[in-house]
Amino acid sequence: MNFGGHSLCRDGDREKRFGGRVCPGGKTLGVIAALLLISATSPAFAKGDSVPDWVQDAAAQKLPTYPPETNAVVLLDQRTYTVDAEGRAVKHVRRVVKILRPQGRDEGVIHVDYDKDMKILSMNVWSIAPDGHEYAMKDKDFTDEGFGSGDLVFADDRFRVAHAPGSDPGGVIAYEYERRERPYMNEVTWDFQGELPHLNQSFTLELPAGYTFNTVWAHHAEGAPIDLENRRWRWEMNNMPAVDLEHVPLSPSPASLAGRMTVHYGPSGLGTASTWQSIGQWYAPLIKDRMEAAPDLAAKAQQLTAGKTDFYDKAEAIGEFVQKHVRYFAIEMGIGGYQPHSAEDVFHHLYGDCKDKATLTGAMLSAVGIHAELMMVDSERGVVDPAAPSLVGNHMIAAIEVPSGYESSRLHSIVTIRGKRYLIFDPTSELTPFGQLEHDLQGGYGILMDGADTQAVLLPVLDPALNTIRRTAIFKLASDGVLSGTVSEKRFGDVSEYRREIFAAGDAKEQRDLIDHALQHDFTTFNATDVKAANADSLNQDFTLSYGITADNYARSMGALLMVRPRVLGSLAPDTDHKARTVPIDLGETMQATDEYSIELPAGYAVDEVPDPVKLDVGFAEYESTTDVKGNTLHYKRSYTIRQVTVPANRYADVQKLASAITADEQSRAVLKRQ
Amino acid sequence: MKRSVHRLFLVSFSALVLVSTGLRARAQWTPPTEEELKMTAQPEVPGAAAVYLFREEITDDQLHVWTKYARIKVLTERGKDYANIELHQYDAGDNGGYSVSDIQGRTIHPDGTIIPFTGKPYQKVIEKSQGYKETAKVFTLPDVEVGSIIEFRYSLRYDDNMYIPPDWFVQSELYTRKAHYLWKPTDKQLVSKGEHGEELTSGIAWAPILPEGYTVKPQHMADGQQLFELTVHDIKPTPDEEFMPPFKSLTYRVMFYYATYRSTDEYWKSEGKKWAKDADKFIGPNGKVKEAVAALVAPTDTEEQKLRKIYAAVMKLDNSSYSRAQSAQEEKAQGFGPAKSTDDIWTRKRGDDDEIAELFVAMARAAGMKGYVMAVTNRDRDVFVPNYMSFSQLNDLIAIVTVGGKEQYFDPGMRYCPYGHLAWKHSDANGLRQTDGGSALAQTPDEPYTNSRTQRVADLKMDDHGEVTGTVRMTWTGAPALSWRTRYLLGDQTGLQRDLHDSVENLLPAGMDIETGAITNLDDYEQPLSAVFQVKGAVGSPTGKRLLVPADIFVANEKPTFPHDKRETPIFFNYANIVQDATRYTFPASLTLESSPAKDEELYQGFAAYKLDPAATPTSITTQRRFELGTIFYKTDEYPNLRNFYKKFETKDQEPAVLKVATASATPAGE
Repeated sequence: MNFGGHSLCRDGDREKRFGGRVCPGGKTLGVIAALLLISATSPAFAKGDSVPDWVQDAAAQKLPTYPPETNAVVLLDQRTYTVDAEGRAVKHVRRVVKILRPQGRDEGVIHVDYDKDMKILSMNVWSIAPDGHEYAMKDKDFTDEGFGSGDLVFADDRFRVAHAPGSDPGGVIAYEYERRERPYMNEVTWDFQGELPHLNQSFTLELPAGYTFNTVWAHHAEGAPIDLENRRWRWEMNNMPAVDLEHVPLSPSPASLAGRMTVHYGPSGLGTASTWQSIGQWYAPLIKDRMEAAPDLAAKAQQLTAGKTDFYDKAEAIGEFVQKHVRYFAIEMGIGGYQPHSAEDVFHHLYGDCKDKATLTGAMLSAVGIHAELMMVDSERGVVDPAAPSLVGNHMIAAIEVPSGYESSRLHSIVTIRGKRYLIFDPTSELTPFGQLEHDLQGGYGILMDGADTQAVLLPVLDPALNTIRRTAIFKLASDGVLSGTVSEKRFGDVSEYRREIFAAGDAKEQRDLIDHALQHDFTTFNATDVKAANADSLNQDFTLSYGITADNYARSMGALLMVRPRVLGSLAPDTDHKARTVPIDLGETMQATDEYSIELPAGYAVDEVPDPVKLDVGFAEYESTTDVKGNTLHYKRSYTIRQVTVPANRYADVQKLASAITADEQSRAVLKRQ
Repeated sequence: MKRSVHRLFLVSFSALVLVSTGLRARAQWTPPTEEELKMTAQPEVPGAAAVYLFREEITDDQLHVWTKYARIKVLTERGKDYANIELHQYDAGDNGGYSVSDIQGRTIHPDGTIIPFTGKPYQKVIEKSQGYKETAKVFTLPDVEVGSIIEFRYSLRYDDNMYIPPDWFVQSELYTRKAHYLWKPTDKQLVSKGEHGEELTSGIAWAPILPEGYTVKPQHMADGQQLFELTVHDIKPTPDEEFMPPFKSLTYRVMFYYATYRSTDEYWKSEGKKWAKDADKFIGPNGKVKEAVAALVAPTDTEEQKLRKIYAAVMKLDNSSYSRAQSAQEEKAQGFGPAKSTDDIWTRKRGDDDEIAELFVAMARAAGMKGYVMAVTNRDRDVFVPNYMSFSQLNDLIAIVTVGGKEQYFDPGMRYCPYGHLAWKHSDANGLRQTDGGSALAQTPDEPYTNSRTQRVADLKMDDHGEVTGTVRMTWTGAPALSWRTRYLLGDQTGLQRDLHDSVENLLPAGMDIETGAITNLDDYEQPLSAVFQVKGAVGSPTGKRLLVPADIFVANEKPTFPHDKRETPIFFNYANIVQDATRYTFPASLTLESSPAKDEELYQGFAAYKLDPAATPTSITTQRRFELGTIFYKTDEYPNLRNFYKKFETKDQEPAVLKVATASATPAGE
């Protein structure tokens, strides 16, 4: 599926759809309307290479002071979205960017995207080099480029690309284009905040008689339009700061903070409501009949669930079939960015994208009497805003209706909508156990696509006990500092994903590299032997890795002292910095880690010191460790629990405190003294 | 090397248009064996995602067609990705092109069930511009599962007036059980169109890099058709290890040519002479360069003084390899056309790295010295292969100037490279140089380890709680200095400050607060580059009564260089160098030094050396560490000893200094 985008749109356009792109649309523009439009908006071309006055005016502005790491500033961004009487839209864009640093040179590469349902009606590019020379590019200077090469997606997205002259610090890049939008859309999103600060920007809506519109705003207070008369409205959003999280640890998705406005439009009374219900009604025809269970597909569903009577068992059998046996391979053309292929086609080829896999899951479940709906989400938490209904999202999963009264301890990823319970399942996430939800989606919003009953729902944050690391090890320390012993590491949930991937599908070298690179964090010299992995493919069981290890010079002999680090393996401290925090803290995932190590001490040594116990509970997370000596054995035990996926910025001091405590504990030493 | 590259572009001499019949019979599939259907792994590559059971490439010049065929056994989930296929084709108008056709494919399940590919490939645009269109045919084979055998074949059809000899890349990312390559070259007389006009080809040549026991032998069929054929078995995947030599150009392969020369010596001699002549034509020197040099140097200057002034002058030019190449439109707007000589480079005060190297040689000549350019294969990516008769393997130009009767090597195209030195990627590298009246294959000198030095000094004052405040000063010369200055060139000082901050943060114990201070000699490339940082934070591991601090704070986060006990390929470091550290902790009366690491020295066969030398006073401890890497290449069988050497000193590096809490009021941080 081609739902939405992960990064902020550089030019303020949101063109991604379910599975990689986003939105706008319209219908075929009539010839007369097109001529009028071009006449009304055509730029004031000067002769030769001189740039238009609006570019000169934008370039002449005095700039505010920006942080030194600001690559460029958008001096002007004007968007005019004109809908004709047939509902077909044309977008006209003017944009002027000033490059401030060498790192901003990329702003001189202009991409205007389109697909088979869109058409670039005109495109002009100008620039003013730092030496003041003005340039105008010609059509022959532009290239067309495809979606990309070497990925798993076939999409008909294309880009008209221009490399503007003068793209150096101090240079000004300007372009203007008109594009006929997709005919099937009735919403447009204006991303007025992005990676660059915006000095002046506006969005103008022009509607034909009989049309109405509605707006919703995400991550920003609603702005009132200026009525320009003649069914024209303009929103202005000037001096908008950038969302720059490049050097912010534990940062949320930039798109979850960036302000955007979505406009819904249409003939009075039709399709203008900015509600989830209207989104669902727009989407319903696209999925109608796509989830039908054809006979061969139904037969397979029956075969998979033969002998099973329990709801969960049946749903799990089908879910895992789609999860494991349907390859991710996306083919998206035109509306195929939103519309899934039929379940029958997906079943026949055994490949598809996220919406194809979710659709097949629903179809197969229906064949065994289980109802399911599609659910739109975004793979970056916080992008889907329940208060801003739109098609902004980049992923599709399945919501499986749980029979009334059914209870099971295996139901974890559950939401309740209008009294019905749904088990949320992502068949594209191949390593997430059925019944759970990958951590990227937890705590975000999903949109249950159910026609007029469509609605947003907060996805659950799962119990930390479902995402665990449990390391245990028994070691023996020799008087020359050599540590030897056996280690067992059990992982369950998302924290097991990478290891499952490597041990289920990676080759011997990758497996060796994984172990060696993990151990080199804790040992300067080591030798791992007898490595065994179990349950790499069994997602509902602990992935278990066990091995023997010998580490020379683990304990450091300093005169009569022998220094031993009781925390032998594993690093858990979150990454923090010393700067003031202004954005929410994304802790990634709820999880629980426990380590238990015992070290038999060498004869002739007595324990002189052990680290003090640590106990720190900051609410959203808790850390506890103890080091004891029993007989001639040193016992180290710790646990770390993360209970929330996001916390507000004002809790950053607690995160720093947590990081500091864990780091100190991980480096603490026990001191042995020769007797 | 952007100019003076001879293109091996072949055109039908007779202008005969050959047309494919288009009636070729559909090729037969290979029936799978029972063993192939049942296999679950290839013992030589445990855990491999997939293996080539068979691959074949047949090139038929008469038909202007390459036919490619692959049989792949899918062994893991990841191996399913090999069922997704993207085949590129392009059309460059009169400059040729090729198209993909005759795509066939099928999937065979482990039980022998055959699922043919019946779909139509999708065609997507990769790039389209005036006179050029690149597209790709994309398809995926149906119903692929772990254990499946996937098969596909297709043809690449070239324009009728082109003959392109094949390159057989025998080694790939997958293990290959068997592969077959066949080329049926044309017997027509061809001409090669290069920068020096058209030349008749005199035969076929090839550069093989093959496992022992394999050779390519030409054969002749009864009808006179010449054939080149190679069948190989059990080819290991391309190696992939850390600290590996630049193997990119040394994987198993056979590169063919319609040659205009009978031997590689003849090729390099003759083509090299043309290249050298072309280079001289660009270099000159001509009037403007001569004028500039006359204004720049004094008649009384020694040759070295002259050359230093010239070097400093070209170093000030805008090196567009580190900024941005100007478009033709920009050049025109500034009153410039295409650069035809070094006069043009000097006039516009701008050029790419090669043009600036050529300008330097021109100016040296104008000052009365002998100067040459040398085209080298950059050591960071490839190895020069003399048997491969292609200028495409040569990357950058460096300069050779005779100063005081002795040839010296210079790297003026590498902005900020000091006078008389080479960037490491250009040192100890092979290539082709100009000589008096011609050219010769040559090797550049290496840069001794004493030329590249990193000095790291920490002066830290510790409080009663074990927290330190102080300064860290980093100083770089040679290769590391050039690396930082290049980062600065590609960005700006703000970006460099960020990068330096991050690099120091990675070196020091976690959680320290670091502020980047003054950066010295950033533009003065003849001087060491240095940067100062203010640091603050906890450095040690507390035990209650003691505080363990890293004796050398710069190796606190050091990871083992060679964690793996096995090695398949030789070991290769970028450059020889010295790293010198000094860490001084001054501690309060509440802390006393209980112990510190013993002095230590390690030597690896005269190729590398390590020394740790702590010294203490009642209120301080200073640890000096020196590491010297004198040799950059080590054979595979040297790995165990080299690894032991690294293990020894990296273990020593982790020995802490132990401070004892002397008073009750003192509490180490973290408690």
